Amino acid sequence: MTNAISYPVRQLAELGWNRLPEELRSNTHLIYSSPATLAFNSPGAEGFGVKRAGLAIPGSVMLILSPGCCGRNTSSISRLPQYDGRFFYLTMDETDVVTGRHLKKIPQAVEEVCESLSVKPSVVMLCITCVDALLGTDMERVCRTAEKRVGLPVRPCYMYALTREGRKPPMVHVRQSLYSLLEPMKKRGTSVNLLGFFAPLRDDCELYDLLRQIGVKSIREISTCPTYEEYLRMAEANFNLVLHPESRLAAEDIQKRLRIPSIEPTRFYQIDRIHRQYQALGAALGVSFEDRQYLEKAQNAVEAFRSHHPNLTFAVGECMNGDPFELSVALVQYGFRVSEIYGTVTAENFIWVKKLSEISPETRVFANLEPTMLYYDCAQCEADVTIGRDAGYYHPDCPNLAWNSDVQPYGYAGLWGLFHALDVLLKGEG
Amino acid sequence: MKGLRKYLTPFAPDQSGAVGVLYELGGIVVIVDAGGCAGNICGFDEPRWRTQKSAVFSAGLRDMDAILGRDDRLVSKLAHAAEKLEARFAAVVGTPVPAVIGTDYRALKRMAEKKTGLPVLAIDTNGMEWFDVGEEKAYLALFQTFARESLPVQPGKIGVLGCTPLSMSDLNAGTKLEAMLTAQGWDKVCCYGMGCGLEAIQAASSAEKNLVVSPSGLKAAEYLKKKFGTPYEAADPLAAELLGTLDVTGKTVLVTAQQVRGNALREELLHRGAKGVTVSTWFMKKKEWEQPGDVLLTEEDQYQELVEQGGFDVILGDSALFSMVKQWNGERLALPDFAVSGRLME
Repeated sequence: MTNAISYPVRQLAELGWNRLPEELRSNTHLIYSSPATLAFNSPGAEGFGVKRAGLAIPGSVMLILSPGCCGRNTSSISRLPQYDGRFFYLTMDETDVVTGRHLKKIPQAVEEVCESLSVKPSVVMLCITCVDALLGTDMERVCRTAEKRVGLPVRPCYMYALTREGRKPPMVHVRQSLYSLLEPMKKRGTSVNLLGFFAPLRDDCELYDLLRQIGVKSIREISTCPTYEEYLRMAEANFNLVLHPESRLAAEDIQKRLRIPSIEPTRFYQIDRIHRQYQALGAALGVSFEDRQYLEKAQNAVEAFRSHHPNLTFAVGECMNGDPFELSVALVQYGFRVSEIYGTVTAENFIWVKKLSEISPETRVFANLEPTMLYYDCAQCEADVTIGRDAGYYHPDCPNLAWNSDVQPYGYAGLWGLFHALDVLLKGEG
Repeated sequence: MKGLRKYLTPFAPDQSGAVGVLYELGGIVVIVDAGGCAGNICGFDEPRWRTQKSAVFSAGLRDMDAILGRDDRLVSKLAHAAEKLEARFAAVVGTPVPAVIGTDYRALKRMAEKKTGLPVLAIDTNGMEWFDVGEEKAYLALFQTFARESLPVQPGKIGVLGCTPLSMSDLNAGTKLEAMLTAQGWDKVCCYGMGCGLEAIQAASSAEKNLVVSPSGLKAAEYLKKKFGTPYEAADPLAAELLGTLDVTGKTVLVTAQQVRGNALREELLHRGAKGVTVSTWFMKKKEWEQPGDVLLTEEDQYQELVEQGGFDVILGDSALFSMVKQWNGERLALPDFAVSGRLME
């Protein structure tokens, strides 16, 4: 057998979520981390993994407590100017693992790090890894001891790859840690937080305008808080919009501690869904969003693209800002063809698998992490353009839109941004 | 403070070294981890990953696999992969997780061999040593497993041990060495793990001589000498050209590099008129190759002290090291050391 294994969505929909083939269940096979999917399986490898995310608080520094191997790839992040001088390491040896003696060294290490800096950090994040997960380290307690020693907030940041498919995967945990520093303060009805991402939404995202329409004056995202003090003012919000499901538990924490309620809208590329979601959001807030101009702009962008580039066939990957199955549904609804999807079928996105089986039953699904992807042969696939970094890797000679920037596409702006970027890409190729 | 790093990121770990040796040999390589270590190796320490496919996988361990020690699940996953992939052997490479739970690698090897029908190498790396320790273990396991037959010696055939991207910091090191050794009169050059495959390992006994270009190759060279009588020598033919036109006449020099490269640079620097050369290394320091005054580095402040108080005129090493001695006023020559900074030779 030397072919990458795949299934048509029709077959997956027939089988149902509980009876998916084992190739699509990542806990049943070895994991192939292609150059394109590294970030997916390795919580610190690329993109906003735990390490970058843990430094989202302005003025924070991070001490990584781990065997040398876990801190290794931070070299590439450390070269980015915004992370210069913000990562420190306390490496563990075998004796540390056996005796747990490294825990006693942590407060002193935190102190030495703080003393070595010309500007006192706002927070010290302590990043720990699988080893301490297995040792059952009480890192909250270690953080409290370190806090007493340096007189600064010290917070844990769990880079436990072992728990990636558990209830609290690393990227969920890190979001909880990041917002755990917020303290109750007087609420302001005109303040809203956008939770979920570590970089802001696109500047042209209509969500900003729509919120202002209903009287919101301060829209805070952790990535745009210029100072620690401004970050702390996220506690004054009237409500939180949770834009990424990995922030759900953080939002629940905030609701409990600070009494800030939250609403969780989803990122869609289907224009009707975006519209209906704004209506629902308005109803929940007791207001009405006037989104017609944005809806029309997005519709025009789709129509213009379709008239310039009719009959395109796409291959869609998951290493991009969106759900590959939902995006594929949208593309098919807009009149395009999707030949292949490289993705992970989850309980949450199975609804789109079913939808796709109705409108494009022969679209094939490949499991990105499955070992036979080593043999993926792009000659077997018809695609005029690919979306997602992984799809680009599998089709090196096909025009590719990576669509994986830190700055996040969302709502109608995400949709028109996508088609604008595709248009630029294809015109450049032409 | 011991183990605290304020300037340098940790160096390439042992599991990266082990995978680097096995990378081109056509086996299924399983990193026994949850995903993070495989991410480190494939995304950073193995520069060939971007351009050359290899069956390197993560075991995808989850918390209950580790807590319950479910080696049988790992073996089952490996067997499934072996059914679907074309592989001549399999290797399991350790990380901190199996080190903490005390995985029995010999048992794992036996179980996996029985289930897959393939020869299985079990490399007990733990993520707490540096890359050269992993390379050393992988080389030894490879030759012990596959170089079993005593073949007639082929005059003019030379084997090269210790040549990997991590040890040589150069993706073209194998080709360069081959060209250089061919020019010296060798008919056949086998760079084990970088340019030649498993057949070359199996036929290692037919080499007239082995060349050890980094300390990680020494144990395997000793093994081949003991088993087949193959002589070996340590040298790094690529080192001299790294110095370019550097003039060191009458100067004292500190070299920081893997030991074989460091020694080769010392020889060349003394040949160019250096007054004295000290070799220091963050990695293996083999007693048989050291000279009085050579330094094994472990901590950042140790390097700072060595540079600031050693009275050197010139320092050579990866440029990442220079960030620790910004105030020092002597001459610096940057020699990329992939295992230190992740930078390769241009």
